[in-house]
Amino acid sequence: MSNGSAGEDAHHSPDGTPPSKAWLDEINPFLSMEKGFNTAADLLQIQGGVRDVLRMPDRELTVNVPVLMRDGSVRVFTGYRVQHNTLRGPAKGGIRFAPDVNLQEVRALAAWMTWKCSVVNVPFGGGKGGVICDVREMNTLELERLTRAYTVAILDILGPDRDVPAPDMNTNEQTMAWIMDTYSMHARRTTTAVVTGKPLNIGGSKGRSEATGRGVTISANEALKMAGLRPEDSRVVVQGAGNVGGLGALLMHREGYRVVSISDMYGFLYNPKGLDMPAVRAHQRAHGNRLEGFAGGDYQGTQEGARVEQLELECEVLVPAAAGEQITSRNAEQIRARVIVEGANGPTTGIASDILDARGIIVVPDILANAGGVTVSYFEWVQDRMGYFWTEEIVNSRLEQVMVQSFAAVRATAEKYGVSLRTGAYILAIDRVASVYRMRGFSA
Amino acid sequence: MEGLPHDDSVSMPSVPKLDENSPLRTMMASFDEAAELLGLGQQEYLVLRKPDREISIAVPVRLDDGSFRVFDGYRVQHNMGLGPFLGPVRLAADLELEELRALAAWMTWKCAVLGLPFGGAAGGIAVDRNQLSRGELERVVRRWTASLLGDIGGDRDVLAPEFANEQDIMAWALDTVSMHERSTANPAVTGKPEALGGSAGYSDAVAEGLRVILRLAAARQGYDPANLSVLIQGAGTVGGNLARILHAEGHRVVGLSDVHAALYAPDGLDVPELLAHRAASGHLPRSFAGARAVDPAEFLELPCQVLAPCAVANAITGRNAERIQAGLVLEGAHGPTTPAADTVLARRGIPVIPDILVNGGNVIVSYFEWVQNRTGFKWLEEVVDQRLRRMLREAWEAVLEVEQTHGCSLRMAANVLALKRVADADRVRGIYA
Repeated sequence: MSNGSAGEDAHHSPDGTPPSKAWLDEINPFLSMEKGFNTAADLLQIQGGVRDVLRMPDRELTVNVPVLMRDGSVRVFTGYRVQHNTLRGPAKGGIRFAPDVNLQEVRALAAWMTWKCSVVNVPFGGGKGGVICDVREMNTLELERLTRAYTVAILDILGPDRDVPAPDMNTNEQTMAWIMDTYSMHARRTTTAVVTGKPLNIGGSKGRSEATGRGVTISANEALKMAGLRPEDSRVVVQGAGNVGGLGALLMHREGYRVVSISDMYGFLYNPKGLDMPAVRAHQRAHGNRLEGFAGGDYQGTQEGARVEQLELECEVLVPAAAGEQITSRNAEQIRARVIVEGANGPTTGIASDILDARGIIVVPDILANAGGVTVSYFEWVQDRMGYFWTEEIVNSRLEQVMVQSFAAVRATAEKYGVSLRTGAYILAIDRVASVYRMRGFSA
Repeated sequence: MEGLPHDDSVSMPSVPKLDENSPLRTMMASFDEAAELLGLGQQEYLVLRKPDREISIAVPVRLDDGSFRVFDGYRVQHNMGLGPFLGPVRLAADLELEELRALAAWMTWKCAVLGLPFGGAAGGIAVDRNQLSRGELERVVRRWTASLLGDIGGDRDVLAPEFANEQDIMAWALDTVSMHERSTANPAVTGKPEALGGSAGYSDAVAEGLRVILRLAAARQGYDPANLSVLIQGAGTVGGNLARILHAEGHRVVGLSDVHAALYAPDGLDVPELLAHRAASGHLPRSFAGARAVDPAEFLELPCQVLAPCAVANAITGRNAERIQAGLVLEGAHGPTTPAADTVLARRGIPVIPDILVNGGNVIVSYFEWVQNRTGFKWLEEVVDQRLRRMLREAWEAVLEVEQTHGCSLRMAANVLALKRVADADRVRGIYA
């Protein structure tokens, strides 16, 4: 569920002049999120104290943990865990390791998780964590010690019924295994459900690594029905060829879509007759994960503006699944898709959203489109709690059920209020949290 | 402190050190070869050769005559990489820590082969239950359980019975844990009576598991899986139930034996009649219409497609392996084939479906009981059976895959699979602190 950092090129004007305040605000994903929240809260007429309850994080924890480094020195790392809201259940959200982690960002991402969990109706609140560190400079032992030290430092607020972390930027299955082991040894009992995204052999779920891509595909199917289109008649352009974009493109290919373009960070492939996605994936595996050199399509390397050009290709479905802030006020008018499915977190800025809405382009918002990942995280938590593990077919069919139902609920809300799917998703999410708040009241 | 005499006679009972001739070492010898096949590093493997933890406890109990006795109690926890420990409670007068070490490790491998999220444990009390009244036995079990309260539990170490008919013992253990915790602690103990959260299908689980693997193995052997001739040594919970299930399915049970008698009929025995006799009298009849009474020493060597030794260890040895006429051996008992016999059978091309893979039906249903207790939702017997079949089929397929990869025996393939799964879990978890 890594929130792709904004592409480098997005931060600078094409002509190299310093970015304006208006532009910086536009590409600030947290302001976009706030905008979504405010629009929805206004429509729901949630004001005053209740609005603050929903906006402000329940709890923010900052920890400074000493770690013994390989040269014998001790370094102190700063980490955070923010629990935005736990009205609907334990906090849920990733832990990221990156040099630019800061409390402001973690706070916003935690709130994002509250809304995402609420949209797909899994019984979690939102949380997020991070540690300021540069994983490229650390070896495996240092990373293990850092992970364990951070886990111990936040141990009191973790737990299957309190707060359940997951992988995020620069953290993976191995990191989750260390967290599970550290928590279990402290508790003196096996506690697999304290964290999700674990390896299969210690309580992970089948189908989890493909879950986000699968959710994107299901969202595309549902959006096509709204647009009155069929997969067979739909050309797809996918930005990103990793876990979300690459797998999403493969699944869409299998369902009959014509994937005409896919990109990675070096360039993009284009074939108006459709790319043979299984062959593209095989090519990637054989060539260091890169698309370049694939014979079944034209390849164009990323030069100035190449990424933008790909997004402006004529297609029925556009899937930005790589990074944030890709569709902005600068290119929203040139987008030639009927449907946009947001595989990445925050690929469309607030201003671009308004432009797309005005142009009648259907946008399936990130908090719905890429929620397949958190949904299967939820399934992992359920399986860990009972200790019984589902087959991949069961995981996939339950994921499909959740995504289809969530899409229908978002669509119904959007139609009821006469707003976009994005605003509809925020209204649905906030209303669900607010109604729990009204039922539960204050505990003391 | 001055004045305290050093008195060896009141020191704690000594804990035997691990030595190379212990049952654990003997059992692990076969895993040394598996570790080599896997290319497992020396350090990773050494961790697996020692139990995580061994607990010895004194179990004082007031007897009915007012006196009291102190029994020795143990719990050995072998490895928790894959999850909480799970293992039996053994009550035997000659119980020794050594055998529990081997049994605990064995449980680790068995759970791993079967794909269960548990590590292995084994415990017990050195007591001759036939010399105790029921009340005394209950007090022994309760005190043993109470002494281990810090170490057992649904997420720590799950108790299981050694035999399917020990429901009362498991019920006492569960009650003791629950009363201490002041909450119902069902997942801490398996093999319970159904009224206390026990699972449907527990009593037949081993035989049912044998039947499932037998079908798969017979099909692979090219036998008609609907009409097999099977020779079964042992007519108790395992052998008797297997005979009953196979007979009901239309197979020919051509031979059945217990310590009292051995009967053979090439066209198939009347199993229900025989088992009814055994239920009434406690043993098989020495003579039986339509069957031939045979010398128990030669029983295993009679013609059949499948030989299922379901009674004792070391039934097939270097001495009789040459004369076995079966095309397939199904190890219902624990360790019925000696290593020397293994070599002979391998040379003769007779596959041996190893105990670790095939006789763990009860462990799987213990796992199901734990799952049902965690969710508080009881499964129908059909659901238990269906899921038991699925887990065994998956284990069977995984073992066959290893067999083909390494070109080794099924027994070695099962050992390799077990070792790999445990070592992989230990590796991803890393070393805590």
